[in-house]
Amino acid sequence: MQTKKHFRNFGVAFLFFWSILPVYWVINTSFQTDAQISDVPSNLVPPTPTLNNYRALLIGDGELQHLIRRSTLNIFIECISATAITVGLASLAAYAFARMQFKGRKFFLFIVIMTMAFPTYTTLIPMYRIMAMLHLVNTFLGIILCYVSGFLPLATWILFSYMQSLPSAVEEAGAVDGASRMQIFRMIVLPLTIPALASTAVITFLFAWAQFIFPLVLASDESTQPLTVIIAAIQGRHVVPYSLLSTAGVLALSVPAVIALLANRFIVSGLISGSVK
Amino acid sequence: MFVKEKKGDLLPYALILPLILFVIFLALTPAAFTIVSAFFRVQLLNPPTTFSGLENFKDIIANREVMSSLANTFYYIIIGVTLSTILGIFFATSLHRKFRGRSIVIAVLILPWALPGVVSGILWTGIWDANHGVLNSILKSLNIISEYQVFLGQNKFMTIFAIELVQVWQITPLTTILVLAVLQNIPDEIYEAARIDGSTGAKAFRYISLPLIRPGVAIAVVQSVIATLNIFDQPYILNGAANTGNSLAMQTYAVSFQNLNFGQGYALSLLITLFTLFVSIIVAKFIYKKIEY
Repeated sequence: MQTKKHFRNFGVAFLFFWSILPVYWVINTSFQTDAQISDVPSNLVPPTPTLNNYRALLIGDGELQHLIRRSTLNIFIECISATAITVGLASLAAYAFARMQFKGRKFFLFIVIMTMAFPTYTTLIPMYRIMAMLHLVNTFLGIILCYVSGFLPLATWILFSYMQSLPSAVEEAGAVDGASRMQIFRMIVLPLTIPALASTAVITFLFAWAQFIFPLVLASDESTQPLTVIIAAIQGRHVVPYSLLSTAGVLALSVPAVIALLANRFIVSGLISGSVK
Repeated sequence: MFVKEKKGDLLPYALILPLILFVIFLALTPAAFTIVSAFFRVQLLNPPTTFSGLENFKDIIANREVMSSLANTFYYIIIGVTLSTILGIFFATSLHRKFRGRSIVIAVLILPWALPGVVSGILWTGIWDANHGVLNSILKSLNIISEYQVFLGQNKFMTIFAIELVQVWQITPLTTILVLAVLQNIPDEIYEAARIDGSTGAKAFRYISLPLIRPGVAIAVVQSVIATLNIFDQPYILNGAANTGNSLAMQTYAVSFQNLNFGQGYALSLLITLFTLFVSIIVAKFIYKKIEY
């Protein structure tokens, strides 16, 4: 019993530090000057904590500050739009699949699940060429359509599984009272589905925030490039010191980190129902 | 409850229409595009597009950079799947029983999964860097090395290992969650019965937990194979222009969007897709077994 407990304590401690130390380290770096970062041995805490890196990145009229501010705005526009559209459309489709009988139901469901198995490269190049044909390269609309098409199948699947598991007695009572199917959807099914809607929204937002190769291909200049693409671009320039780069990293991780820490319960339940078919 | 409606009921079709339009135009059409175009010569700077049979595939096989990236991707998969699966099972086992603060530990567990690959690359640059990386600092303080070492971009295996460890950091949370979910479905009575028979701790893990978590492990392994097979963001950030440790995904990107040879890009994409589906099915067949209690 005692060794078992030691084993578990070691496992938990290892998990905790393994997960958090790289994040701690970049935060620690972002509060140091460039000279302090190069100290040997490295400083485990900032010797003289400074906000200079944050100031240099966010305040002022230089090209770098402009890029960071613009791409932060872009990533919010793209993630919020993609999440709202995905969750909205997925909840409609999931309701039809879970609660209505119609010809082709199984077939359509199968197609949706099948597209979930496509890796990135199945669609990357043709996606670019389709968007080019429609003149949607380097537009928010093009990027958002691309994200929605990528996340919609999984979102539908998570909501479908959840709605199917709901007891239908309340809805039947609603139907007896003469409510239309869309009224039942709005007033009974959606409120009961809130936990799954939260899971879907959080997971979709995080996926959208993490996108890199699709916006790298679809966004050709800073007017639509999200923060991830801009960080990769300034990292490739080598003239930008690691102190600033790590600060940009802290900016880009702050949003998903806060979401992960606050909404982890929704993430866990969504991931489980999304993967276990 | 299925609401039975009269014939010609259009509401369900109206509800799924947007989803189906997205799936048809931005998933199935591109996929078909990839399959067909792989057999065409498609060069944007050098039109016209003509049918070329297996020419693209022959070119790929003759391309040494593509072949070396294929070998590299194989290493990425082996290292990534092995490490994330072992770590994931270890973490899930540690989290199996309730303890104080478990929900906080689970929140922290999710953290690396939630971060973009690009950001993780930036984070781990601070660890691997040859001039100010913390790993060099630690190894030097412990007198294991006398001079700071270059971990990325010189030795191929070291580079691939270092980059893949970043991805392992990101995908292990999902493995842990999937295994933990299955682990928690195992009825306590089974462990109780085993305890009476004298099996506890490592023995109970080996003979009860391990066989019974197989369905969860199977799903996790498939997810890890897909992730490692498509690795792009982490090597792009950590190793940039250097060719050491190039992955198949990076090579496909370079062929398509830098050389603008879309035909070869399509052929490579098709191979990645088929390989992904093939490996997923094989892994699922071998490890996945439905468990009845």
